[in-house]
Amino acid sequence: MSDPEAPKKILAAALVVPVDTVPDDARIGGLERWDSLAHMRLLLAIEEALGRELSPEEAAGVESLADVRDVLQVASRPDGSEPTGVPGT
Amino acid sequence: MRRPRPKLVKLETERFVLRTLKPSDVSDRYIAWAVDPDIMGPLNAPVRKLTVEGLSQHIRGFDNATRCLIGVFDASNDLHIGFYRLNMSLRHRNVTFTVVIGDKSYWGHKVVLETRAALLDHVFDARGMEKAVGRPFARNFPAVFNYKAQGWRLEGIMKGHARSVSDGSRLDQYQFGLLPDEWRARRNTGAGA
Repeated sequence: MSDPEAPKKILAAALVVPVDTVPDDARIGGLERWDSLAHMRLLLAIEEALGRELSPEEAAGVESLADVRDVLQVASRPDGSEPTGVPGT
Repeated sequence: MRRPRPKLVKLETERFVLRTLKPSDVSDRYIAWAVDPDIMGPLNAPVRKLTVEGLSQHIRGFDNATRCLIGVFDASNDLHIGFYRLNMSLRHRNVTFTVVIGDKSYWGHKVVLETRAALLDHVFDARGMEKAVGRPFARNFPAVFNYKAQGWRLEGIMKGHARSVSDGSRLDQYQFGLLPDEWRARRNTGAGA
């Protein structure tokens, strides 16, 4: 995902709002426009960007703009691996 | 265990009325939902043409004690727009929710969040249920959103749990759960509906 604004643009398109109105901490429950149909548009748009269906684990994990960013970054890695250098739990 | 007595439901929310469905609630609108793939597909339910008598018989099949069929009506005009099926286990005191909003013009208007909030209050406070469960199909993204937005916990992913009625493939399902204390805490923040 070369465009750093891509996750926010995808979310804004799903919510049908201007990109600059989407806050960095956008999440389910925090934005009036993020309703069930917007959520469906968002997940379908992510799938279109990735060129494949999301796994149920990936789809279930999308609750915020940060999650959109994560799923686009992780899923676009060739092996779908988590970023390296992240401490384990 | 003695057979429980039927208990009819009548609840009001800000915009909707929830009440036990009767055979006389069958209408062409209600019948049309069963032949609409947009409505039946996400539920993995077969598209089928029902008759008035067939759907009336279906409604009569609910005992309204442990198996309840509850209609959703627009309070402003009494229009029937959807329904809930609740399956309650008296032994385990849990209830499984299924919801269908058949009138597509109401999709995206937070009908489920508002109406299910009233039903959660009802099953926990008036029916003595101690856990609520929902099992949407993984590709039913709007339903999954509604569980998340209402604060239900994702308890697990049931891989290949059901067979697709359309192509025979195996479908994944989520299980969401909600306990009374979790719901009341959520309710008290004003974030449940």
